[in-house]
This record gives sequence, structure tokens and C-alpha cells, in this order.
Amino acid sequence: MKHLIILLFSIVIVSCSKESEKETVYKNLEGNKTDTLQSIQSTVKMVYIPGGEYKPFFGSNTTLVSVAPFLMDERAVTNEEFLEFVIANPQWQKSNIKRLFADTNYLKTWPTDITLPENALKDAPVCNVSWFAAKAFAQSVDKRLPTLDEWEFVAMADETTANARKKPKYSDSIIDLYLQKNRQFKSVKQSPPNYWGIYNMFDLIWEWTDDFNAVLTTGDSRSGEYNDKNLFCAGGATSATDVMNYAAYMRFALRTSIKADYTIGNLGFRCAKDTTIIKQ
Amino acid sequence: MLVSCKENSEPKQGAETTEQLPSNSIFNLTSDWQNQDGKTIKLKDLQGKTLVVVMIYTTCKTACPILVAKMKMIESKFDRKDIDKINLVLVSIDPETDTPEHLKEFSIKNEMTGPQWTFLRSAENATKEFANVLSMKYKKISPIDFSHSNIISTFKPNGILVSQEEGDINVDKVVTTVNQTVRKK
Amino acid sequence: MKHKHFTICATTLLITALLSCNSTNTTKPETSSAEAALAMVAEGNPEVAEVTGAPKVPAPIGARAAKKLIVNLLTTEIEGIIADSIPYTFWTFNNTVPGSFIRVREGDEVTLNLKNDGSSILPHNIDLHAVTGPGGGAAATTAPPGKEASFTFKAINKGLYVYHCAAPPVPMHIGNGMYGLILVEPAGGLKPVDREYYIMQGDFYTKASVVKQGLMEFDNDKAVAENPDYVLFNGKKGSLLGANMLEAKVGETVRLFVGNGGPNLTSSFHVIGEIFDNVYLEGGSTVSHNVQTTMIPAGGSAIVEFKCEVPGEYVLVDHSLSRAFNKGCIGKLKVTGEPNEKVFSAKTLTKE
Repeated sequence: MKHLIILLFSIVIVSCSKESEKETVYKNLEGNKTDTLQSIQSTVKMVYIPGGEYKPFFGSNTTLVSVAPFLMDERAVTNEEFLEFVIANPQWQKSNIKRLFADTNYLKTWPTDITLPENALKDAPVCNVSWFAAKAFAQSVDKRLPTLDEWEFVAMADETTANARKKPKYSDSIIDLYLQKNRQFKSVKQSPPNYWGIYNMFDLIWEWTDDFNAVLTTGDSRSGEYNDKNLFCAGGATSATDVMNYAAYMRFALRTSIKADYTIGNLGFRCAKDTTIIKQ
Repeated sequence: MLVSCKENSEPKQGAETTEQLPSNSIFNLTSDWQNQDGKTIKLKDLQGKTLVVVMIYTTCKTACPILVAKMKMIESKFDRKDIDKINLVLVSIDPETDTPEHLKEFSIKNEMTGPQWTFLRSAENATKEFANVLSMKYKKISPIDFSHSNIISTFKPNGILVSQEEGDINVDKVVTTVNQTVRKK
Repeated sequence: MKHKHFTICATTLLITALLSCNSTNTTKPETSSAEAALAMVAEGNPEVAEVTGAPKVPAPIGARAAKKLIVNLLTTEIEGIIADSIPYTFWTFNNTVPGSFIRVREGDEVTLNLKNDGSSILPHNIDLHAVTGPGGGAAATTAPPGKEASFTFKAINKGLYVYHCAAPPVPMHIGNGMYGLILVEPAGGLKPVDREYYIMQGDFYTKASVVKQGLMEFDNDKAVAENPDYVLFNGKKGSLLGANMLEAKVGETVRLFVGNGGPNLTSSFHVIGEIFDNVYLEGGSTVSHNVQTTMIPAGGSAIVEFKCEVPGEYVLVDHSLSRAFNKGCIGKLKVTGEPNEKVFSAKTLTKE
């Protein structure tokens, strides 16, 4: 009798699992199930970035960092995509979200949990989302957030070259874009893509990266070298390698001023994905 | 049975075990962790005791030994009658090296073997998530070295963050905060 | 004979020694001023401090005891007029350039709440030179758009101090106008005067915005070359001219709190037709007298005092005069009242 009950019970469990076919399981430790998200479709074109070596903005002047090939969304995640995500995953809706994962300004312009603001463009980048929310979205489309190095690698490019950092107007032209008010409300892909085919790296929003917290400085970076061994264990290289790159200063200033649960009106994200393809 | 199946296939509103949890409790993180005894737990299994949490890695040669020493100093200043209400948790930022066996070895070597000591590690993603809840910065700067902020955090038994001490950590301040939290229960 | 000679020498030496001992006593540096302020207890519940836009200053602290104060500042990025009708993107504390004047007393405990407006594009913070502590508060107050941050400090050094945003890149934040002054009055307050005004000089480097027609914005290259387009009092050409002239009457004592936000240039501050009776050098505790032109370093200040004896228009300048006449560093103080022919008489001699 006992065996029969166990058998029946197992059948129930198995059939329940089958019903949740669509669920994407966020694998953690050795295949243990942790957070479950309803997966959604992503139609964003992903661009192959061959990677290479680059000199990071905060780091040593002599050691280059290696970026492995990866795929990057050609543009940021939009309002309508994020709407689809929260409809499928109510735990990420405004009134359900845990305070641990986002501050009180999460999706603050949305009139209800599942409607976009009246004058918001469907294909404008979604903002007022925290790092936790961005990560969850990425998981639901079977992607991840780009790393800081990956993002910065792509950011080196202008429209015609992969590494435009030595060009005299490189930083200035980016700052011109940064200083435009209300740029975050515009549609994606309205300006020419860069050398890789990636859109809007500078002219729409600040973007979350997976390891935005890997910059070990405080908000005060006037001492070129930041080496407080009390605050940061093995401080490492925290002096800027290119002090004329004001645009990078501004971008990194934003990164060091935020925490993972912050939601900011001009901060959104795009997704990335690992790849095993090696193209020449 | 059919009814319970239906319930399972509806999108989760948040696991039922977290429903009673405050919205800003760290136990809302549902990741799996392994402790120094190789047991897999969820963070909410630490619920019910005041937590003193630090993130380190065992092969660190610079500030972590100081952090560990401070944790021990903090522990030594607690009243023995309070000790069963407190859990001192050391979380590894180098889960690849800090396997449960390694963590166990470390705990023995450093005389941190009582039930009040918990060492944890998880997969990279969950570790990063945890660090972000603590507003902790860290970066792998070589195959064996990490650069990271030095923070000791105190949590209430329900997982809400009470306070954090950063940098040159004042041991007495942490002890006072923990004692206050324990008393409030 | 020799013995007498010796006595006279010895006595002279002794007297000289005693006198020099005495004189060192009277010029002993005030190293204990900050320590004394540290011991002052700030009483009562925290109250919100009054802050004002230039050229006005909050009321003097007078004889009050040290207390707990709250200072609220909002950082914004706004369009304003820099000169003539030319719009410029200013970054501000409380929507003005310079930012609000903060007035406290030595021994006060000040909680500074910094909020970064939601419409800002960038993070901002504050470094107050009156603060003893890391970055003058910068790291503790860094706030991304829409967020707040705060910290508390005890004002242990009296004097007139600059505050400014220290978010990277710092010259850009300062170049766009993120600076102001905080006055820490001594116990008992500064000696009362009839008029007090707040003036802050800054150098501005501009180029046309590629994104918005007609709008000017910060030019990094010019700033590095220290070649400004404008050098201005209170962030706008003509801010102290015409209808905005400062005012005083004959017989009144005037005190000017003058700051220099920079980011780069040092000022040679002079009031044409006036001599400063008192100058608190660099906004500190040493007072100089009878000064024509005083140097105000970038990131520094000076307090100047004078008595108005003769009516007329007195021109405030940076005496590096190209800045006054070509770049806008010019303002006026209008003094009204009865002529004072004893001090100044401009009768022309008629030829017979």
C-alpha cells in the first residue's frame, strides 16, 4: 500500500513538472532548482563580438584585459519587452516586488503593474529597473547581463572603427550625447550603429552590467590612485588609465554611485550571451 | 492531486515560505548554499538568529585575515548566554577554491568550529547577487586574487539589515549593534 | 668698569629675552581654536538652517550657543543665461550659481542632506572645505539621479569656506557652477556691520552644443588650457550691474564674503575707489588692514570690510583686468548719501 501511495505521488509530481515545461530554471548549485521564471521570447538581434584585448579605464597601463567572444543585444531592452516580462512573471511587478530587489521608484512612471505610461514609446528603453530586475529579465530570455569589460570593449568603437579612443573627438562627442536631456524617452535604433552594429551605446541611457560593482573606488576619485587597504582588500589598480577620457569618468562615476537595488530614471540595460563560436 | 498540480503550474507569486518574510529581508534570496559540513541550505534556514555576516575568501593574504580576526574578536565579546541567538556567517567570494571541505579545514585551523559559526559558498551568480544585496564590491584581479570591500553586516533574525561597518571596522560597535538586536527580540 | 659694563649687557640681554618671550606669547598661533570648538556641545533638536542665494546671506548667528542644524541641498542640471542672451547648461546646488550660502557657528553639528534631482543625468556629491573628514564629505554624499545621501559633521574650524561638487570629472562639475560658500562664525559672531553680501567668482569655458542649437556647454580643452571665455561674479555676466548693483549708504560698514570657485583662476579682488579696512586673509583668522587688492585662490575665499565714506559707484573687479573688461568679471556697489568733500572733492579748476 505504502509503495502504491509513493508511486501515485511520484506520478503527480512528474506530471506537474511536465506542465511547467515553459519554466526556465535558474540553475544554481549542481543543478539545484532555485528561482523559477516564466520564459518569454526575445526577438532582439544579437551581434557577434569577437572580443580581444583592451586597456580598461580603471586598471594598469601595461596590462591588457582579455575579452572572450560573446553575443550582445544590438539594442537596449524596451518598454514593451519588459511589460511582457512582468505580465509573465507577476513577482516582478511593481506592487509585488520584494523591497530587497528594488527601491520604491521601481517602474515608478507606470500607472499600473501592467500598463506603460500614456506617453511612453513602446520601443523606448525601459528605465527605473534595478540590477536584480534586469538580471531576472535576462534569465527569462535565456541570456545574461554583459560584463563591465564586455560593455567597455564595445564602447571603444565609433561608427567606423573598433577602437576609436585615440581619436581627438572621441570623448567630447560622447559627452555631447550624454548631456542631452531626456534622451531616455526616445526610441531605440534611431541613430547609426557603431562599428560592430550595436546601437545606442551613448545616446539613450546608462546601462547595468553584471559586475557594475567591480569598480573599487568610492564616489570621490580625486586621488588618482585609490589604495585604502582598509576599505578595499587588495585595492588593485584603481587609477584611471586615460585622464582625458572625461566620458569614461562620467560613466564610471554613475557606476560607483549606484547599488543593485537602485532604480534610476535614465538607467536601463541590454542583454548578452556566451558563445562558443570563434570567428576570424 | 489535480488541484495541487494546477497550483504548481501558475506563475509563482513568491514562494509561500517567503510570504511571511518582510519585503526587504535577505531571506527573499532563494539561492542554494553549501556550508562547511557540505550541507545544502537556503539562506532562510538561517532565520531566527541575529546574523553577523562578512564576505571573504580563504586564500586571501591581505585584509581578510584581519576581517577573520575581527569576527573572532566580535564573537569573543558576546555573552555566552546570548551565543545561541547569534550566527556568525562567513561567505566566500571564491566558491571554486572554497569548497565545503576547504571551508571546514579553514574553520578548524582558525578555531571557528562551534555551532555559532557558519561558512557558506554558492555558485558565482548567487554569490554576486548576495554581494550586491550587501552593497559589497569585488573583482577577480588574478587567477587567485580578489579585490573586495571590507564590510561586516548585522541582520535581524528576520533577515532585515540593521547596519554595516566598513573599512577599519570598529569591533565594539558591531558587538553593541548585535547585542541591541538580540535584546530587541 | 668692566663689571658695570657686564651688568648692563647682561641686563639688556635679560630684558630682551623677557620681551621676546612676551612677544611670542602675544603672537601664539591659535592651535587650540579647533580643539575648543570640538569641546563645544551642540544643544537641542536639529533645526533646518536658513540658506540664501547670492548676493544675500542668512542672518548673523549673533550670540547663540552651538546647535544642531540640518542643511538641505538639491543638485540640478538646468539651462540658464550665462551672458547677454546666451543659454548655458549649468549644474547647480539649489538652482543657483553660486550655490546657496550656508551660515553656521563653530561647534555646530551639521547634517547635510544632498538630494540629486530626478531630472539630472549624472551623479553629484559635495565637498565642503569646512569639513574635517574624508573628501570633505564627497564619498558619503555621492547620489545618482533621483537619490539622496547625507552625512553629519561638526564645524570645528571657523572661517569662510568653499564647497563644491567633487564627482568625476571634477573640473567639469565645478566649471558648470557647482560651488558655493559656507561661513563658520566664531562664538559670539562676527562683529556686526551694516551690509553683508555674498559674491563668488568663477571661470567659464564654453563651446556650442552639437545637440541643441544656440546652447553653450563646458569645453574640456579650454579648461585644460585654462583659457576661459568668461570670468564672472555669481555665474552670470552683469549679475552685479544695473538693477542688480549692490547697495550701501554713506557711513555704513560693508562686509563682502567673496569666494572663488575656479575651477582654475586665482582672483586679484579689488574694489575701485575703496580700500579694505579689514581683510580676513583667505577667509581664515588672520586679519590684514589697509589692503587695496587681495588674492583669492581657486577653491578659496576672503572676507573684506570697509566703510563707505563717499557716495558713488564703486566697481568690483578681478584686477587681472582683461578678465574685468573682456570676460565679464565686473560688478558694482552703489553708495548713496551726502558728499564728503573732506575725503574726496572733484572740483575742476577753471582757468582764469
